[in-house]
Amino acid sequence: MSEMGESSVTVAEAVKSSRSGRIRVRRAGTAQDPVLGTLMFAPAVLYLLAIIGVPFVLAFIYAFSDIRIGSNTIHFVGLANFRSVIQSPSFKVALQNSFIFTIFSQIVVIIGSTILAIALENAFRGRGIIRFLILLPWVAPISLGAIGWKWILDSLYSVINWVLVAVHLYKPYSAPMWLGEPHLAMASVILVHSWRLLPFSTVILLAGLTAIPKEIPEAAEVDGAGFWRVLFEITIPMMLPIISVAVLFGIIFTFTDIAVVYILTAGGPFDSTQVLPSLAFFTGILSGDIAAGAAISLFLVPLLVIIAYLMLRVAARAEVS
Amino acid sequence: MDEEKKFSTNEKSGEKVTNQENNSVSRRDFIKIAGAGTIAAGFGGPYFLFPERAQAQQKTLKIIQWSHFVPEYDKWFDGVFTKQWGEKNNTNVTVDHINLTELPARAAAEVSAKKGHDLFMFLSPPAAFEPQTLDMAHVYQEVERKHGKKIDLAQKSTYNPKTRKYFAFSDSYVPDPGNWYKDWWAEVGYANGPDTWDDLRTGAKKIRDKNGHPCGLGLSQELDTSMAVRALLWSFGGAEQDANGNVTINSKQTVDALKFMKALYQESETPEVFTWDPSSNNRAMLAGKTSFVMNAISVTRQAEREHQPISSKIMVCRALKGPVRRMAAEHVMDCYVIWNFADNKDGAQKFLVDYIDAFHDVFTNSQFYNFPCFPSTVPDLKKEIANDPRADPANKYAVLGDVLDWATNVGYPGYATAAIDEAFRTWVLPTMFAKVARGDETPENAASAAEQEYKRIFARWK
Repeated sequence: MSEMGESSVTVAEAVKSSRSGRIRVRRAGTAQDPVLGTLMFAPAVLYLLAIIGVPFVLAFIYAFSDIRIGSNTIHFVGLANFRSVIQSPSFKVALQNSFIFTIFSQIVVIIGSTILAIALENAFRGRGIIRFLILLPWVAPISLGAIGWKWILDSLYSVINWVLVAVHLYKPYSAPMWLGEPHLAMASVILVHSWRLLPFSTVILLAGLTAIPKEIPEAAEVDGAGFWRVLFEITIPMMLPIISVAVLFGIIFTFTDIAVVYILTAGGPFDSTQVLPSLAFFTGILSGDIAAGAAISLFLVPLLVIIAYLMLRVAARAEVS
Repeated sequence: MDEEKKFSTNEKSGEKVTNQENNSVSRRDFIKIAGAGTIAAGFGGPYFLFPERAQAQQKTLKIIQWSHFVPEYDKWFDGVFTKQWGEKNNTNVTVDHINLTELPARAAAEVSAKKGHDLFMFLSPPAAFEPQTLDMAHVYQEVERKHGKKIDLAQKSTYNPKTRKYFAFSDSYVPDPGNWYKDWWAEVGYANGPDTWDDLRTGAKKIRDKNGHPCGLGLSQELDTSMAVRALLWSFGGAEQDANGNVTINSKQTVDALKFMKALYQESETPEVFTWDPSSNNRAMLAGKTSFVMNAISVTRQAEREHQPISSKIMVCRALKGPVRRMAAEHVMDCYVIWNFADNKDGAQKFLVDYIDAFHDVFTNSQFYNFPCFPSTVPDLKKEIANDPRADPANKYAVLGDVLDWATNVGYPGYATAAIDEAFRTWVLPTMFAKVARGDETPENAASAAEQEYKRIFARWK
């Protein structure tokens, strides 16, 4: 950033000595004019306010009110909504599931993306195509991907079960019900979400990996360190700041995700994959109890604020180093 | 009234132009006048030049409803009925169709924006939206004047006894019979299919033991399961609430129904019933994988429409009889609302009245899927469904002739309130039954947990 600033000044000075004053003023203004800077920044700020800020404030207001889907007026009710949703068995399960969903999917994503990043770092024939294929789940709409997985895991037409029965590992009607058994259903939503997040995390780690000076692992190899020692004692420790960034982004994406659970299981079987965002949607939008839905959706805000703070700090450190 | 305002605005604009023309007009003034005239014309449209057209201004009626399970119905509704109605009433009728699962979220968005369609059709009683809907008492009165009284199912699904308001208008409901595979049931001694819940348990187990085909009574967080478990609960004498809206779920009758479900699941079902969405049991039945499901006649209609050989094998039966009664929920309840903020309230009300006038066409074009809430509109219903040229055998649907004896509303024996709707949409009953069926919870504990949840929800809607 500072290099770019210096280079613009240099260009501006060069322009100053050779061209008209009008051009000179415009170039200098780009770097220093606070009005122009504010104008350039304003669309992003407005976007954040409109898309995130306003709904966020509304959610706070709703969570402390008696608003329902048909309400014409709202009244302040204090913590009544929070007290009510805490009593709900579905809420307790959803809170627990949110942590299970997030923690396990992040473990899968980080292990998977680290392996992929290391595998994709060195040039080989077809690397471009493989990178493209790995990126596909991230660029494709999640709803399409999740619907595809729903059919792959379907109780009747699952291609996985068809193979399992065809190779006589299971009898018809006894093949695993991927979305019907609580643990299998949770494992399924975790894996599908990991499949979705893997490319994002891989790209981040790949960028971090390529930034490690080659001399360090090469020197270790000359000193006799094997692949695993270089990996665990040099590569991964040096990637930790960037891994932290990937993890923190992943945690926020997962804690707030509704698409995978909603499409694959709708929270079932019997709430065993219900997470807070899906429960908030069922309660607030589909059932019309907006106040309770808002209260459910705000439960994770303190935790997400801490995670966001840590994320920004780690990102800043990674930038400095 | 609005048209009158437009007229006066245009006349004033016209007068102004004339006065200006009598004086000498500078170039600047001319541009001002031309600009004002253009703006006036923009507001007044072509009526500025042709005032007589304003009197015949075409109105718009915007309707949104689900994509019907019988596609032929949508073709008739969009391409014939609404077109003819629009021509007759000088109205441009637009119809939007969305997936049934998206209806509540779409309604929430329209209410939030205070903008949307003039007629919004729900598939279940939308009691929570009551403050945003027009009282439909006048529509009911007009229709009842022409066609006689509505059925109790419609009354209980669209009326709030506390506020004495009809928050919706119900034109029709869809029966929720059983669908059974003829050959397998005949093989185990039930040539006419199951008639009672005990028949289902005994026969389904025999079929499962004999050829492996499981029973398909859903236990998932979806519409068909919600209706099926309610049928079971009521048939055993249990209910979510009493007629006065007091929570009654934790009862001996509920525990008995839960014990029955556990036995049925463990003897005759597989975990696939925990995975289902509303179309899964259709697929399972049409694929020849399951011996019994509870669903509307969309299963058999699809088989007939696609000329599937299995069509003649799938039969329909009445709601199963339990120890206390024979009862099932309506499968879906068509409920039209008119938002308070709708642009064309008068047109929407007239449309509903005229729609009921044409209800026999609704009945036939939905291929007997939509049953009338005003029985006199289809006077020969029993005769018609007993001789259906599409069905194989032709009298397959005759068992639905006495549907009003065993079909009831969600919330029975009380009204379909907002609290009942929340309990419905947060899947309290399917969760209770599923946990017991799997053995994760005892029937007594599950009923007690459901009671707490019902009381919590009911307290929120007081």
